[in-house]
Amino acid sequence: MSEQRQGALLRKAFAAVGVTAMLSAGLAHATPITTKEGVLPPGTELNEEQLDQPTELFASELAGGKRSYLLDLGDLLFSSPAIFGGAARQAGISCETCHQQGSNNPKLYIPGLSSRPGTFDTSGALFNPKADNGVFDAVTPPSLRGARYLAPYGHDGRFSSLRDFVRNVIVNEFAGRDPSEQVLDALVAYIQEISFLPNPKLTAGGRLSADASDAARRGEALFNKPFRHDAAMSCASCHRPDGAFVDHQVHDVGTGGWFKTPTLINADFNAPYFHDGRYDSYTEVVGYFDRHFDLGLSPHERADLVAYLDAVGDAKKPVTRDTVQAELDELAAFASVLDTAIPAHNQEIIQLTVDAVGNEWRELGENFPERTDTSVTGGVTERLRARGATRELVLSLRLIAMAASAGDYDEAARAYSDYRQRVAAAAPDLKLAEQWSLFNPSIREAHFKALRQLADLAK
Amino acid sequence: MATSITTTKLIAHARASLLCGALLALSLAMPGRSVAADALAKGAADYKPFAVEHIGIALTGAKKLQAAVKAGDLKAAQGAWIESRKGWEAAEPITGEFFPKLDEAIDAWPDAKQGYHAVEAALFSGKLDEIGAPVDKLVGDLAEFDKQLSAPSFKFSPQGLLNGATKLAYEVGENKSKGGESPYAGTSLTDMYENVEGIEAVYKLVFHGALTGRDGKLAGRIVDKIEDLEKLVKVKDLKSVDQPALKKAGEELAVLLQTSAAKLKLKKPAVGE
Repeated sequence: MSEQRQGALLRKAFAAVGVTAMLSAGLAHATPITTKEGVLPPGTELNEEQLDQPTELFASELAGGKRSYLLDLGDLLFSSPAIFGGAARQAGISCETCHQQGSNNPKLYIPGLSSRPGTFDTSGALFNPKADNGVFDAVTPPSLRGARYLAPYGHDGRFSSLRDFVRNVIVNEFAGRDPSEQVLDALVAYIQEISFLPNPKLTAGGRLSADASDAARRGEALFNKPFRHDAAMSCASCHRPDGAFVDHQVHDVGTGGWFKTPTLINADFNAPYFHDGRYDSYTEVVGYFDRHFDLGLSPHERADLVAYLDAVGDAKKPVTRDTVQAELDELAAFASVLDTAIPAHNQEIIQLTVDAVGNEWRELGENFPERTDTSVTGGVTERLRARGATRELVLSLRLIAMAASAGDYDEAARAYSDYRQRVAAAAPDLKLAEQWSLFNPSIREAHFKALRQLADLAK
Repeated sequence: MATSITTTKLIAHARASLLCGALLALSLAMPGRSVAADALAKGAADYKPFAVEHIGIALTGAKKLQAAVKAGDLKAAQGAWIESRKGWEAAEPITGEFFPKLDEAIDAWPDAKQGYHAVEAALFSGKLDEIGAPVDKLVGDLAEFDKQLSAPSFKFSPQGLLNGATKLAYEVGENKSKGGESPYAGTSLTDMYENVEGIEAVYKLVFHGALTGRDGKLAGRIVDKIEDLEKLVKVKDLKSVDQPALKKAGEELAVLLQTSAAKLKLKKPAVGE
């Protein structure tokens, strides 16, 4: 993404949440992998360090309902490297790596597999040598918001079924074992729950609301206007406003093959654009279609179309600040899977849950800098207590898995009860230490500045 | 791992103690605070030479590093850093637990001004001229560590040793697939191996005998788990480490060590500071 486009998107996002001070916090934390010894090549950027994360909303919650067992399980599996195999499992890569909070990952970059940030070759040799087709064809991992309305799946629409698509990702792209029925059920349930973000500029029928600008309104007319050389076609004939801005078809629009029509809803946050991420901005996209279909648009008309896309693609709250409380809420949802899995003696799900939730606690603990982190001063007692508490919780979880492995589900249930009590006891300590943790933007900046200084020293 | 003669003797002694488990069981089966406490105190005293030796290796390596830097010999300096680091990593069960201030300076992360990693980042990118001051400080800090540790009055507490070993068992399981603890030197796998050796030394020299007398099954499970960890880190390179299995084994070992505390009449070791 160009700095200009990235800056524009971030400004928009930050304005939406009213926290302009986030700008520095959001941009500062690129920490590419430097070592040659790891599973992933040097220069890899997984973009895992963002304090401000894409907002994730679930359809059931928007409708006033609650998270189901399947949603919780699918959500945790989505963050679990254990369902993959080979290098992905080794490197701790999960679905969440490419689809952060069910969105995309515009900074994801893996040398040899990415043609540019935000792209990834799903048939390269690193993650599954058996799938290596010898063609460097990196594509954008798309946002999954509204996925249930967006069949077929895959950029080339090769899967009509989301279930088949998910299985293909696990087995063929990331060398995982054939997932069990319950794992697939949960992942599909989770993805189908990921909702589009509310956009006050758009009505339920896909028309602009009174909140949209005049330029966007002029753009809307152009969007629906027949092309000058083919009256049967308009932008809206493929991107149908009354149908989530898709037509469920693949088309050849001169970009190197047949690719499905992407949705435009919330697309302001989906850059880079086109299947291969070749464009950073709507200006480039509109310019391309103007040339390809010889639309004869004036500069003003192109600007109006961009304003329209900008309005359709907007969202009320595109990013959400990560906090200790947000992490605790997510961990509570994930761990609640054990409410069902332990009484059901469901060994597979108990082990997957312990591993995934344990990983999350480990990651949360890393936000409380240890004593040897000299970039952070203050709150050392509080930091260490919080860090220690997260570690104790990892071990409490492991005890559950060990008991279940031994077939002692009564002991597993006791250990789970103990775990829950420990979480309740630890929460105040974690919140108390938050001000000296990486959840504090200035502490975060100091920590990552020190990391960058080390990396610079090693250049 | 190039294990020194002294270490080999210590580990052999520890392994021999496994064979003596039955005899120890006889003497320790009778509940008695003083018997257990005495056994642990003796074990802690038996462990001290291991720690002294490895901090000695760290200090000697650091001094060689200092000399190589002064001589402008990059290859020798890099080799000396690795040698020093091995000694430090094997002593990690006790570094943060018993010497937190020195640990903070010597093993600072991320810190581009002091400690092993500041030196590592510059040294392994060929910048000998930038590391004179941090190397001098590293030598000074390690010398102070060695002095405090070697003092006859210094004694390890069994509780602190159990804490340190448990913490390190947890930390060995941290995912190193993106480079690990020493990403610029590329020696994270060696770090892990030395860590496991350090845990093994603490457990076998200090706790195994006493625990065998009180819960032989648990003692056996701990030995098996340490062996599992050894197998998991005894691989050709960092890429070959089964990270999820290592994490699981490290956590299981930490849980077992925590479980052993009550049997040893010690407090449950915390994995935080």
